[in-house]
Amino acid sequence: MARERSPHASAQLALGLGVLAVAAVLAWGAASIPSQAGYAGIGPNFLPWVVALALAVCGAGLVMQALRGGYEDMDEPSGAERGDWPALAWMAAGIGANAVLIERAGFVLACSVCYALAVRGLRLSEGRSAGGVAGAARDLATGLAIAAPVYWLFTKVLEVNLPGLTGTGWL
Amino acid sequence: MTELWSQLLGGFATAATPVNLLWAFVGCAVGTAIGVLPGLGPAVTVAMLLPITAQVEPTASMIFFCGIYYGAMYGGSTTSILLNTPGETGTMVTALEGFKMAKSGRAGAALATSAIGSFVAGTIATVLVTLFAPVLAEHAVKLGPPEYFCLMLLAFTTVSAVLGKSTLRGLTALFFGLALGLVGMDQITGQVRYTAGVPEFLDGIEVVLVAVGLFAVGECLYNALYEGRSTSSLNRMNRVHMTRTEWQRSWPAWLRGTAIGFPFGTIPAGGSEIPTFLSYATERKLSRHKDEFGTTGAIEGVAGPEAANNSAVTATLVPLLTLGIPTSVTAAILLSALQNYGINAGPQLFQTSSALVWALIASLYIGNVMLLVLNLPLVGLWVKLLKIPRAPLYAGILIFATVGVYGMRQSAFDLYLMLAFGLLGVAMRRFDFPTAPVIVGLILGPLAEAQLRNALSIGEGRFGIFLERPMSLFLLVCVALVLLMPRLLAWRRRA
Repeated sequence: MARERSPHASAQLALGLGVLAVAAVLAWGAASIPSQAGYAGIGPNFLPWVVALALAVCGAGLVMQALRGGYEDMDEPSGAERGDWPALAWMAAGIGANAVLIERAGFVLACSVCYALAVRGLRLSEGRSAGGVAGAARDLATGLAIAAPVYWLFTKVLEVNLPGLTGTGWL
Repeated sequence: MTELWSQLLGGFATAATPVNLLWAFVGCAVGTAIGVLPGLGPAVTVAMLLPITAQVEPTASMIFFCGIYYGAMYGGSTTSILLNTPGETGTMVTALEGFKMAKSGRAGAALATSAIGSFVAGTIATVLVTLFAPVLAEHAVKLGPPEYFCLMLLAFTTVSAVLGKSTLRGLTALFFGLALGLVGMDQITGQVRYTAGVPEFLDGIEVVLVAVGLFAVGECLYNALYEGRSTSSLNRMNRVHMTRTEWQRSWPAWLRGTAIGFPFGTIPAGGSEIPTFLSYATERKLSRHKDEFGTTGAIEGVAGPEAANNSAVTATLVPLLTLGIPTSVTAAILLSALQNYGINAGPQLFQTSSALVWALIASLYIGNVMLLVLNLPLVGLWVKLLKIPRAPLYAGILIFATVGVYGMRQSAFDLYLMLAFGLLGVAMRRFDFPTAPVIVGLILGPLAEAQLRNALSIGEGRFGIFLERPMSLFLLVCVALVLLMPRLLAWRRRA
């Protein structure tokens, strides 16, 4: 069965190796779990071993398919052939900034920054200019306009615990 | 029968209090909105709202979540008809004929038949749930751990092997989900597993985190990475109205769709993709207007699958409420909502939480009426949502994702994990790995492990216990069939 080599075969190979690595980590962890079988004959280390072995088999299968030219029975993924990595980086930076800031600057400000960075990435991916300082300020303001009511709705009406910058409950 | 009637009336009394009506209405409205909007599904929306379970009482929040669940099915069809990107997987088939109908200027009729069809199917399916769920629960009480374990095994197999094109990738996703479920404290012995010394991992990995990361954040990242230049065209709306002949062509399709959808929702066959495709194939075969299929758009091809979709979605409540086994991703997340309240879904639910169950069932009737109103006269309102530009929409989703993930455990660490799961979601989508098995594995995994160990305790450590009990043996045969049938069929076709 000679098939054309998929252009993504190397990425697929990496993914298969990743699954194998997860299986190895699971097996390494399973080895240190005591068995304490009791009446059942199987203890808390039974399922970890099953999952580790199963993932090892799956990973091996994926690696094999990737080496033979690519995963079998693939649906063509939607969207562009090549990824727009800078756009992805902007958005990932936004989520990262959110994680760094949320407990320091509060939910509203952290989410506004996250929004501004993410919207910039999305706009770049559409091939539009991201806008200069004025654009960034406008994005921050839009983010603020979305995040603040969300914060009020969830903390005041639904009593979900979200961090604020001040103790007032409004910011 | 009279007992059933009085319990249902009691349910209506609870569901019709102003507060619960408001929850149902907000749920239906939110559900319709996220169904219409691309990028968010009912599963991830319910997941993001899970933190409210800390404050809101169980009946109200379950009514709210279920409203979102079937509201999204109504809303999803609007997007499928007007925009060529379906909002929901269950409405993919609707897009086939619905989009063509809209192109040839019959958007209004397509929207009408899908909304009314959803209502008819939803209501009939709710009647069936009312009649059969209590009976099934009565019998399910007799099932022991071996049978439960085999049922869960069946759910695992169908969700990973039947859905998606590749069994290998489905199983990889399933075992990855099971691995995530292992993290934290073992339910039976309290043994700590796979925490790597990180205190955040002691309580296990939150479902919200994985669902929001894989679905919402993954979708946003995927969009930034690959979909920047994709364009979509919006069809013109016109008056929502059906002619006499369109009514005549629609109603048999609605009934057939309902009949096809319901059984698929009750068995662990993984959601509504299969019944909607089956219904579409049936309508295409039976139709007297075959020339319209795939050309100008046939109304039966919208009516049938829409009814099948809603009927299947409603029917997923049967295994969820009577066995505690979710057959779709959203049902899995509803199960974890119940777990947050310390409520064990299972056959006892009809006794221990009968007020909640009946209020929930009553609210399904009410919700379907609300959704018909929301989606017929007010459809124009929802269509406006489709005009929100892509960039602010997806960036805004991230804010809601933060609410869900951070609100659950108040830990910034979870936000980093969310990003990691988002990146994983991008890879899974790009390489055609199904994501549903991850969620089902994560939620059902620990439950299945407990049942397995209890079953083996009963069998005094022998695995033979699964073969000795007729019901569990039958279920094991089903598992084998699900795994082997596609292979045998393919092999016969080639031979």
